[in-house]
Amino acid sequence: MRGVLGAVLIVLLWEGSARGFALPSYTLPAVSEILGGIWAQRADLLSGGATTLLEALLGYGLGTAIGIALATVITILPWSRTGIMPVVMAVNSVPVAAYSPLVLLWFGIGVSSKIVMVTLAVGFTVFLSALAGFDRVDRRSVDLLRSFGAGQASVLWRLRLPAAMPLIAAGMRVATVRSLIVAIVTEMLGARSGLGWIIYQAVVQIDFVQVWAAIFVASAISLAFFGLIGWVERKVIFWR
Amino acid sequence: MSGAVALPAPRGAAGLRRAAPVLMGLGRLVLGLGIAAAVWEGAVLGFGIRPEYLPRLSAILSTIAATPEAYAAGFLRTALETLIGFAAGVAVGVLNGVLFLRAPVLRDMLFPVFVVSQTIPVIAFGALVVLWFGNTLLAKAVIAFYLTFFPVTVNTLVGLQSVDPRQMALLRSFGATGRQVLLRLLLPSALPQIFVALRLGASLSLVGAIVGEWFGDTTGLGVILLQAMYTEQVTVMWAAILCAAVLGTGFYALVALAERYLVFWGAEA
Amino acid sequence: MQRRTLLTAAAAAPAILPFVARAQGTQKATLRLKWLAQTQFAGFYLAKARGYYEAEGIDLTINPGGPNLLTENLVATGADTFGLSGGTDSVFAAREKNLPVVCIGVSHQQTPFFFVTRADGPIRTLQDFKGKTVTTWYTGANYVLLGMLAKIGLKPGDFTMQPQQVSVTPFVEGQIDVVTATKYNEFYTLMTRMGREKLRTFVAEDEGITFPRDTLIVSETTARQKPETVRGFLRASIKGWRDALKDQKAGVDVVMAASPALDRAHQEFMLVEAGKLMTAGAAAQQGLFWIDDAAIRSAHDFLRQNDVIKQPVDLAKAYDGSFLAAIPVADRMA
Repeated sequence: MRGVLGAVLIVLLWEGSARGFALPSYTLPAVSEILGGIWAQRADLLSGGATTLLEALLGYGLGTAIGIALATVITILPWSRTGIMPVVMAVNSVPVAAYSPLVLLWFGIGVSSKIVMVTLAVGFTVFLSALAGFDRVDRRSVDLLRSFGAGQASVLWRLRLPAAMPLIAAGMRVATVRSLIVAIVTEMLGARSGLGWIIYQAVVQIDFVQVWAAIFVASAISLAFFGLIGWVERKVIFWR
Repeated sequence: MSGAVALPAPRGAAGLRRAAPVLMGLGRLVLGLGIAAAVWEGAVLGFGIRPEYLPRLSAILSTIAATPEAYAAGFLRTALETLIGFAAGVAVGVLNGVLFLRAPVLRDMLFPVFVVSQTIPVIAFGALVVLWFGNTLLAKAVIAFYLTFFPVTVNTLVGLQSVDPRQMALLRSFGATGRQVLLRLLLPSALPQIFVALRLGASLSLVGAIVGEWFGDTTGLGVILLQAMYTEQVTVMWAAILCAAVLGTGFYALVALAERYLVFWGAEA
Repeated sequence: MQRRTLLTAAAAAPAILPFVARAQGTQKATLRLKWLAQTQFAGFYLAKARGYYEAEGIDLTINPGGPNLLTENLVATGADTFGLSGGTDSVFAAREKNLPVVCIGVSHQQTPFFFVTRADGPIRTLQDFKGKTVTTWYTGANYVLLGMLAKIGLKPGDFTMQPQQVSVTPFVEGQIDVVTATKYNEFYTLMTRMGREKLRTFVAEDEGITFPRDTLIVSETTARQKPETVRGFLRASIKGWRDALKDQKAGVDVVMAASPALDRAHQEFMLVEAGKLMTAGAAAQQGLFWIDDAAIRSAHDFLRQNDVIKQPVDLAKAYDGSFLAAIPVADRMA
């Protein structure tokens, strides 16, 4: 309820300043203008949004799986940590967009290059969170469990995973938003469809209302995705 | 002989590990890097990978050596933008977390707005950033900030909320003030969680700075990267990627080091 | 209270600004380029390095461009004083969307890009594009391609057109049949990787289509209120460009100093090609930055026919040659 209030306040402020200062649409279009733009372009935005969402969801699923898997490997085989960590860090330090020429070269201009990029970005976020979560357990509890003859895998399942759940969940929540952004940014650098492609073309055609219309749709999708993961998270953690 | 020597050995190694973990880490890092470099060079040569896909490491390094001042200037500039953005992002993020804990009304009102703000791809509003902040170092730092503050906010809040209410009640019963509870109990307990976000933020702020440099700038790793990308100077592009990787990894390592000194929960619990 | 302070400040600003300007003898201005520093813009960098803008009383800062940074937008909002924007196409688009920008000069007199195929491949004429895969930029070049092919009777469905990614590698490796290349950038990469003799080019001008690009723009406000500054900027820029085209080493040097990681050989090539584009067509008689009304009209009508611009643009308002006309022709010749 309060969230709605906050959103309404922002919208009013935006609309008011756009109208009040008579800002031209190339500076900041009014919200009403953008909503009109969305309605006018609904067919394009719907199909573009569907493409982007598909890329984001697939990449998100893959990234989450890989991130957790990699963190698990490092936890079970501690010696692999020094090898894997610097490589992961080095790869992640470079902005996604810098890889895009390479990824476009390797995976083409279609959907798969976007999925790869999203997988990278999401995978890293989830990996870091999961690893921090696994490391979080009390040293003595681990020793205790191990003294009863539990292996690393058993320690992971009984002790580390439950302790890591909130952190993994937080990482997964942050990653929802990242997944859509990365899909969009990659689309802007080369694609055949999707919201990023719409934004790119709209900028070229100097159609700022359409740029913002596409951004609004992207935000709405992200927000829904964020909410969905939050909801799932509450269910799962409550159940645990 | 073997029995007599073998017994103290692990203890000695453990002592060394405790005494100089940084040195050990450094040694292993150098070793790891050496192996990675050898694998890189060997793979490119061995599999005959063409430079368009992946140039040899030695070719990249000699590209850097040809105009070291360009890369040094870019490195420093990008590092500065990253640091400013990161510091601001962390300060605001932690503050947000505390604020949201204390005033759930604010949390409910602002949190969705923050989420929405994070759903807007930075690259889409480059023109707005230039309009508002011009072509300054600040403009880049703002983007680094924008990418950093959100994960810090989320994690601070989660960390603060996961503090055991019984511990809070106990501290309160001893007459601790809200400020004391915050500084003595809440923040220290949330620190591990916050540090996860700081590590994430270390990478994100660098990404923000580099992308920020794409909105019209003259120096920076992002500038070199972009220029090389469009003129297809593949080795230059990789040289910039390498510099960014060094900067990012170094920054990450610093944050991790700080974490090691500041977070003691492993021994506490 | 706040409002009054704001009003006072607003009232004081115009009063103070000329005073500051007069006191220093110069006024601050910025030039927003369409891309990062490269010899495509050598003349501006050289003019600044040699103090030509200063001599005109302009303290000029050169701001590079970037992806998704629209020069028209930045000039229209006043964030930048001058702009070297995309081209006639982007000026039309800006005017159609009511952005108050005016073009005061055109740098590249002809279409700066062409379509490239393999010399030993199956494509010998435009007719052979039928059934082939073509990549191009969806920033205007796509319409030039469609227009060229329409003239010989090919419709959009007769060939596959795809957005072109940054790298030309897919073409070099034979994954696609036709690639779009600017004469000064992508073509250099293609030449170095495949050899000039291996490449066949298809030029828009051969099909009667021309697409002048790299337009100098100012806001309507600047054009109205500071005509002398605009003239001074043009004089200094032309002087810089004349120097850069005559003494190309100086032109390359100044750009390499601004951006040392660039490839010098490529930049030398780029300056030669930029020079050709700038002195082509009517500029051969009328000098640098000439606004060739016929070429502009032809580009406009072409885009209008293809429904890229939805309504006719008032060319007299969008293109103002008066600032250029104030400079004697002899001083404008490269």
